[in-house]
Amino acid sequence: MLSFIFISICLIVASLGISLLSKIQRLKEAGDKIKTLNLSLEEMDEQAKLIMRTDMELNKAQEELDKKISGLDTLQKLSQEINTTLEEKQIFKKIDNKYLEELGFERSLAFLWKSLEREFRPYLRLGYNDEEAAKIETALNANKDYFLDLIQNGISASSEFMPEGFLAKDKIRRMFLVHSFIICPVLTQEGDRGFIFVGTQNTEASITKGDQEFISILANQISQTLDNARLFEKIWKSQQELEIKVEERTRQLTQALEEVKTISKRKSDFISSVSHELRTPLTSIKGYAAILLTGKLGTMPDEIKNRLEKINRHSDELVHMVNDLLDISRIESGKVDMKIESLDLKTVIEKVADLLSEQLKTKNISFGSNIVDSCQKIMADRGQIERVFINLVGNALKFTPQNGKININANCANKIIQIDVVDSGFGIPQEAQEHIFEEFYRVDNTINQQVKGTGLGLTLVKHIVEAHQGKIWVKSKLGEGSTFSFTLKAGE
Amino acid sequence: MKIGFGFSQLKEHIQAANEAIGQAVIGLANMPASLAFIFTSTEFAHPLLLRTAHNLLGEIPILGCSSQGILTNKGIFKYGFAVLLVSLNQQTFFNIASIKDINKDTAFSSGKELANKLLYGFKNVRRSLSIIFSDKLTTEGTSLINGLQENLGRSFPLIGASAADNFTNQKTFQYVNDHLLSGSCSGILFGGKFNFGFGIKHGWFALGKMRCVTGSNSNVIQEIDGEAAVKLYEDYFAKDTLELAKELRRISISYPLGIYLPGEKEYLLRNIISIRDDGSLVTQGDVPQGSKIRLMISTGDSRLEAALAACEEAKRSLGGLKIKFVMVFDSAARLSLLGRQSDIELGVIKEVFGKDTPLIGICTNGEQAPLKSINSLGKTYFRNQSIDILAIGDQ
Repeated sequence: MLSFIFISICLIVASLGISLLSKIQRLKEAGDKIKTLNLSLEEMDEQAKLIMRTDMELNKAQEELDKKISGLDTLQKLSQEINTTLEEKQIFKKIDNKYLEELGFERSLAFLWKSLEREFRPYLRLGYNDEEAAKIETALNANKDYFLDLIQNGISASSEFMPEGFLAKDKIRRMFLVHSFIICPVLTQEGDRGFIFVGTQNTEASITKGDQEFISILANQISQTLDNARLFEKIWKSQQELEIKVEERTRQLTQALEEVKTISKRKSDFISSVSHELRTPLTSIKGYAAILLTGKLGTMPDEIKNRLEKINRHSDELVHMVNDLLDISRIESGKVDMKIESLDLKTVIEKVADLLSEQLKTKNISFGSNIVDSCQKIMADRGQIERVFINLVGNALKFTPQNGKININANCANKIIQIDVVDSGFGIPQEAQEHIFEEFYRVDNTINQQVKGTGLGLTLVKHIVEAHQGKIWVKSKLGEGSTFSFTLKAGE
Repeated sequence: MKIGFGFSQLKEHIQAANEAIGQAVIGLANMPASLAFIFTSTEFAHPLLLRTAHNLLGEIPILGCSSQGILTNKGIFKYGFAVLLVSLNQQTFFNIASIKDINKDTAFSSGKELANKLLYGFKNVRRSLSIIFSDKLTTEGTSLINGLQENLGRSFPLIGASAADNFTNQKTFQYVNDHLLSGSCSGILFGGKFNFGFGIKHGWFALGKMRCVTGSNSNVIQEIDGEAAVKLYEDYFAKDTLELAKELRRISISYPLGIYLPGEKEYLLRNIISIRDDGSLVTQGDVPQGSKIRLMISTGDSRLEAALAACEEAKRSLGGLKIKFVMVFDSAARLSLLGRQSDIELGVIKEVFGKDTPLIGICTNGEQAPLKSINSLGKTYFRNQSIDILAIGDQ
């Protein structure tokens, strides 16, 4: 019995021991699991730290990027605003609170150094009242040398990046009543230089390099616009001065022109009266010479007759000259009544050719015309335009050698007809071409020495063409002939 | 209920008030205004302007505050004067009141006093909702709310905002009738027939190991897991205290602390305001000792989803009632994180409520709204970085 009890107790103890061992084993396993869980938790916490740090870096980068995009956008808008004016003071007025706020600041000032007065003067004030601004101006001028150095060296300063030798950060804060700030020099090429100040009272704001770059770009933009404004003002002033000078010169020229006109009128009047006075005795001289030549008053020896014929011929030339002078004078003074009508150009040319046919035949000169179909009609006074053609073709005939050619061509554009009288004559020297339409001017050549002329023919032609609102000019090359061109309005 | 809304950005402040009030009066279509909510940027915080508005509105009760950002249907504005006129029917009751000179020692009693003032005349009237606008009370917020709830009731819906200034950390202003206040709290209590729905969310998720606050005193966390509180941030961001202090604002708004609340879907966020020399963290709002906390992280999408969820929750609470206007208290930190895309969040709100539903709101430095889980018994908490949507339905 005792042994049974002993065995039972042993069995119970053994089973309890086994159970205990098993529990210890389970506890150990649970402890291991807890350790593993703790380890995992610690690992996860480490991962969480990594996530936090990465997220913060990403957020920072995003924030900086956002700030840059927003800053660039604001700078672009500001640049557009600033560029709309070329007036120095207006440039600063374009900088508005809203742009400043978009850049993260609520206070701003701009000062320019007035070298004559030797002080800084305000040009921009945002976020300050009168009293604050006055105090800042006084404090600034009391410390002007520091700011002048900053401008001289072209260096920016900010609450984060202060240059050596500049005022202490806290002094600037107190002076400008802000917590964070940026000061950038406004470096113009010419004229007054200065600086722009931006700041914020926000104690949590911090200035980044990006902020400083933006304000620096803004300061550069202001500098360039100031330079442009000053340049514009300079040019404008020069232009004003130039305009005054031009006005003065114009006035002098008008006066001179008036004088020339008066003199010219006097000359025309003189020529007109002299010509009239000459014509009467000339008519008598010519009349008497003609009577004597008829022999009605008795026969005359041949020598006297020759002399009388010379008197008669020279009288004709004189009458011709006087008539030309009178015509020029009349046209100049507008006394000639022009009957402008639509004429057939071909008919006019044919009439002239008919008039000069004998001379053309004598020198065996071929005469032709080439008139474009659309240029058949001209607006002109028949009598006067015939004189133009007679003179021009007559001159061509005079200076074209035997077997030469004379052509009349006509072209038109924009209801203006250009008529060219082209000859294969000796040509006109270059230096003579610009004087050829002047009164009494005669080209110095052998033909002119042999053939007599008044030197008034081309002057008369010029006056007649101009009286038709046309223009006349000559192109010529020695030995290759000349082309006299003139314009007339096209007829209907 | 009839609503009239007006907004102006005229540089001349009196003219701006005139313009905005004129627009709002037209919106009321000849109905008499019972109440005016006025939200402005700090530039408009002037007694003369409030007197002008009070006179123009025929001396009806005015409640509002200044803020660094005004939210309207047209966008978020850093500068401007917004007014929302409400014409209520006779079955809706309300009372406005304010309490001045709040400080750390008096915050709780001030809350109680404000509650008593608000309750004046509500003896036999069913109370519905209280809205409060407080100064940027960083340390006293929790005590003030506790005081208010002591007298209004622990489960009474209390929604509010601490107005944000333009990060200058100087002053915010509260408007009560023609009084311009600072360092104060103003509020309104609605009762009678008054329908509303609200939703509040933030969109941050917990990351990393849960820690325990082993030493704290109201809004100062001294120790976390037996170590100096700052060590948590030092470990996570591999930065020493000085470096952390330099980047505190960025780190604080991006990675706030989250307090675990059993039963709640979201953690209660706390921004870090400063780091003390002994390694303590000063938070915006209290963190009780023993709180289970974790570091929080978010993405742009998670925040937008949270805004959407808050709007839908507010809309759902009204159960198909026509929504007359929406009031938004949106954390300035959220808008700061959105940066150039700050209008996206506003777009989400407009999408839920319709673009023509009148919307008015402010940027906040702290939001107050109840928790919704059964465990929390509807108690209002001081929050950070949240978007608080209050939808007012037809009566």
